[in-house]
Amino acid sequence: MNDSKKYKIYRGLAAVGRWVLFAFVAFLILFPVYWIFISSITPPGELFKMPIDYLPDYPTLDSYKFLVENVGLVSKIGNTVLIIGVTLLIGTVICVMAAYAFSRFHSKAINLMFGFILATMLIPEVVTARPLYEFMQKVGLYDTYPGLIILYISAVIPFTVLILRNFVGEIPISLEEAAAIDGATFSQRLFRIVLPLMKSAIATVCIINFITCLNNFFTPLYYSNGIQVLSVSIVQLPLRDNMYGVPWDLVSAMGWIILLPIILFVAIFEKQIMDGIMAGGVKA
Amino acid sequence: MNTKKKSTKWIVPWILILPVVLIRGFTTLYPIIATLKNSLFDIKVLSGVKKFVGFSNYVNVFKDPKIITSISFTVMFVVISMIFHVVLGVGLALILNMKFKGQRFLRTIVLIPWAMPAVVVGMAAKWGFNNDYGLVNDFIRRFVPAFQYNWLINTGSARAAVIIMDLWKDLPFFAILVLSGLQFISGDIYEAAKVDGANGVQSFFRITLPLITKNVMTLCIPFTLWRLTTFDLVYSMTSGGPGEDTSLIAYRITTEAFTNLNVGYASTLAVLLFIVMAVFSFINMRVMNKMDN
Repeated sequence: MNDSKKYKIYRGLAAVGRWVLFAFVAFLILFPVYWIFISSITPPGELFKMPIDYLPDYPTLDSYKFLVENVGLVSKIGNTVLIIGVTLLIGTVICVMAAYAFSRFHSKAINLMFGFILATMLIPEVVTARPLYEFMQKVGLYDTYPGLIILYISAVIPFTVLILRNFVGEIPISLEEAAAIDGATFSQRLFRIVLPLMKSAIATVCIINFITCLNNFFTPLYYSNGIQVLSVSIVQLPLRDNMYGVPWDLVSAMGWIILLPIILFVAIFEKQIMDGIMAGGVKA
Repeated sequence: MNTKKKSTKWIVPWILILPVVLIRGFTTLYPIIATLKNSLFDIKVLSGVKKFVGFSNYVNVFKDPKIITSISFTVMFVVISMIFHVVLGVGLALILNMKFKGQRFLRTIVLIPWAMPAVVVGMAAKWGFNNDYGLVNDFIRRFVPAFQYNWLINTGSARAAVIIMDLWKDLPFFAILVLSGLQFISGDIYEAAKVDGANGVQSFFRITLPLITKNVMTLCIPFTLWRLTTFDLVYSMTSGGPGEDTSLIAYRITTEAFTNLNVGYASTLAVLLFIVMAVFSFINMRVMNKMDN
């Protein structure tokens, strides 16, 4: 009797402890995000009020309006969507092709090429930046959509190929052999048999690559000038009446524009993202 | 007909991998060779100078106080951040692994810092650590009303702030990857330990920790490499300041290459960084292989 009472108290305390930890972690992550949001709808002048008003009395979309009218928000969103869209499309196609080859053909040279793709993961972009910048200028790809798209694709190749190759490896080759006996050609086998089975893996890869591309800052910062995307715009916003060097009204609004699709993606695709991360350890 | 088919079959995989190999080759292999070459030259874009200087860039690097500051902060940043990644990351993974109603929600929100661009984190932190109007001091003032402190203007606190924001962004990601290892541990082991009279602390140190050690050590390799090349965060948050005190080596390299246009020197730093990363990876892989045997 006494023991079970003790056990109940222990269980109760453990539950309270769990919820305290839960609340603490959730607060640490969500509160700054919430602060960015409310800052973006606070009238700019009130951002210089202390203490911070975490429930603004007069919410306004003034900062967003300013971004649309004076900073060209719409064209920046357009650029970002266009570059990411084409990157995902072409990147996925060529990575599926490569993943299939790396998984099904195992000559020494092919394996070596796979090793090369993986090894290039180790090369940081700061090491390649200057020569690549000069190369892009020389061939006329600097500050062009094709140039940026090539670099965006390059950035997602190693992770995508790795994940998809492992996935193709799990598709039994006997399916293809059976189709070959029935007279299916190589491309029929690839498009009619392998590809449909890869749908979920391709979806996972696209979801994660969307986030990776939205996060890409280094590429648009150094390989473009006129073509502006969202991630770079946030560090180049004009100062309004602000003596502090950070146009927080506009930064918070731009930040929220980037955060909104990310939060939606995370909320909707939590499972796919978790699977993808655990399979490939990708860094956004 | 059959023989003809066989003789061309080898070309199929090469056609399939060609685009990927070409793109990666042009964006990584070619530039790294160019960087190696440039590191032996004195190249100043503005004055149009380009002359062969052998290894003198390499010698000069270690006499440059700016570089010494960058290297020492980079080492500090990597070591401190990684220690917290391991300790707090395992802690957070255990929290994420607890079975309770909020689990799914918590696993979803820890993805937010991972999915956010580091520049958004950096810009928000720049304002968040502001003395007068920032989130951090506002929070402290609710407990210590007259609190004043300019975090990003003093060396120690600016460095601490950069490390804190790095942890805020990447720790949840580390924890998720630790969690994937934790999920493989079967609940039966804990039940058995409980029957034998082990308490929670004992079963953590005797069961959980030994089983995830290798997983955590493996994770430390890419996470250390990512710390070594951290750029976006300091670019947006501190611009390397105050002075040069938070200019991580990756930030230093791009400043030399794109702002000071001191290309030869920047290439030298880039080569040295790459060598450090390669040696680090090599040693770790050897250690991991030894552990397996």
